[in-house]
Amino acid sequence: MKKFEDILVQCIDDIKAGRSSIEDCLDRYPSMRERLEPLLRIALGIREPPDVKPSAAFKVKARVWLMDQIHGRQAVTKRPWSRYDSQTKPTSYVRRFSMAGVVLAIVLVLCAAGGSTVYAAQDSLPGDALYPVKLGTEQVIMILPGDDVAKADRALSFAERRVREMEALAEKGRSQDLELAVEKYGYALKMTMAAMGRARNGGLVAGNVTARVAETMATHLYRLDMLGDIVPDAAKSAIARARETAERGRQNALAALANDNAVRAAEMNLAAMLGRLNRVRAKVQDGEALQIALQQFEDMAGFGQEISQITEETGLNIAEVAELVTEATSMHLEVLAELYEEVPEQAKKAIEQAMEQSFRGYERMMMVLERTGVEDSELPVIPEEIRQRMEDILGWTNAPKAGIPTGGSPGQSCPCCGGR
Amino acid sequence: MNQNRCEGQTSDESALVQRAVRHDADAFAKLYDMHVDRVYRHIYYRVGNEQDAEDLTQQVFLKAWQAIRRYKKTTSPFVAWLITISHNLVVDFYRTRKDKTYLEAEVLADGPASSPEHVAETSFEQQRLRKAILQLGGDEQQVVILRFIEGFEFAEIASVMKKKEGNVRVILHRALAKLRDVLEEERKQS
Repeated sequence: MKKFEDILVQCIDDIKAGRSSIEDCLDRYPSMRERLEPLLRIALGIREPPDVKPSAAFKVKARVWLMDQIHGRQAVTKRPWSRYDSQTKPTSYVRRFSMAGVVLAIVLVLCAAGGSTVYAAQDSLPGDALYPVKLGTEQVIMILPGDDVAKADRALSFAERRVREMEALAEKGRSQDLELAVEKYGYALKMTMAAMGRARNGGLVAGNVTARVAETMATHLYRLDMLGDIVPDAAKSAIARARETAERGRQNALAALANDNAVRAAEMNLAAMLGRLNRVRAKVQDGEALQIALQQFEDMAGFGQEISQITEETGLNIAEVAELVTEATSMHLEVLAELYEEVPEQAKKAIEQAMEQSFRGYERMMMVLERTGVEDSELPVIPEEIRQRMEDILGWTNAPKAGIPTGGSPGQSCPCCGGR
Repeated sequence: MNQNRCEGQTSDESALVQRAVRHDADAFAKLYDMHVDRVYRHIYYRVGNEQDAEDLTQQVFLKAWQAIRRYKKTTSPFVAWLITISHNLVVDFYRTRKDKTYLEAEVLADGPASSPEHVAETSFEQQRLRKAILQLGGDEQQVVILRFIEGFEFAEIASVMKKKEGNVRVILHRALAKLRDVLEEERKQS
């Protein structure tokens, strides 16, 4: 005998599909009529809700936020560099910004320019009549009292504004005004770096601000990539310049951070490298963009070696940084090997170079670790299958299969790497 | 039949999911574009206001990215997995709100139909039903919503809830019986 719940479900399905009516069903199961009828009526009374949709603005904002989380902080992995994420919440420099300072600045500028003008100017974009008023307000805010950490945060918030302005201009199709936004972005970053430098030289605890700057620059790089994809060709060079400025700022901030906290600096750079590989993957069929992303990956890998050098100079957390570099390099090589199969023939050479640069960074870090007295056998190693795959791609067929690192010594594993 | 229902997983979507599982952010962004409306709509039905729906929708996709390596292809479409994450987040959302009056206010709020553009579309009866559904327990509420609101098949619901199809039918029966009791009680009181 059929169970009651099966009969109930069958009746609902039949009625909804138009194969039967409520009365037909109840007649089919007269003994269950009393139990069945109220449940059927309730089930059939439940309708789909109205087609509520999120606003387009929310969808874009949430997408950018999500990608920031993914690319900027890599809050997504249990690999060691994710410790950075568990220690730091997303930094809202707008929140950190002194509200008292904002109020005072507004009062000052109100006196000079009239409240409604200043208020209206805050939403203006480069090329608008009120844009100079907006920049003037920011200059007033910069000279308000506060230490250099606070000033670095203020200037960083202006750099963030400039990126938002670029996004708004691109959305409105006003690419002719992007040049001005890019110029002012460079200026805001210059102020940020100057204040950050003064904070460090003045003995202020600047580790957090340097991390914030590096983190913000990483998210800017991603957003500028997206912008570069959508602006007309004539505006691409301006966005590329903004990108170079952001990358310089990121590297400066990380170099400063490495002196205080090498582990965190290494984590952030390795996460940024993974972000570049994601970009490579996204552009696998776009020759020029692919080459650019691979070059950027190589540059970041090269910069990673600078962090290794700083780590050695400070002598702090060397083993921890080496573990991070090993695990991240393994992952990078694995992804690069996958990409090698996907990219067009003419891009394979660039993938090989990126692999080599990535491996060179690993070898460099192992050398640093060796110099601290760690035995060869205790050095963290890249998994054999990944290493083997890399060697096959790079043609390092005679390389030894163990005893990493070997670069620069007889039987070196990386024939192109030269010395250490 | 629910017109928004996902008719299985297309090969394009399967490829994107496979890439996302390997932590390809671009593929995941495309999945976000494909499913953000559906996830938002589901959450909005449950929480009844835009602000919480937006906040929770963001969290769903971040959680999904964090867990994507553990995603296993099943008979249910990828969006069903996202809806399950949404369900868990909404449950936590209500659980963490210790202020009972807030919970009641949310449950009893007019919900989607209170916004002017939807008033005409949603009947009073639908509002009563929605309020009653939101008073059901976790599994019962999930089965009713997945079946009648989201339009998933029993096999798909069973797959995402990791239960047998027969159990899902039993839960649905129990849920409808509870809805009947809740609605009757409400009628008596009014």
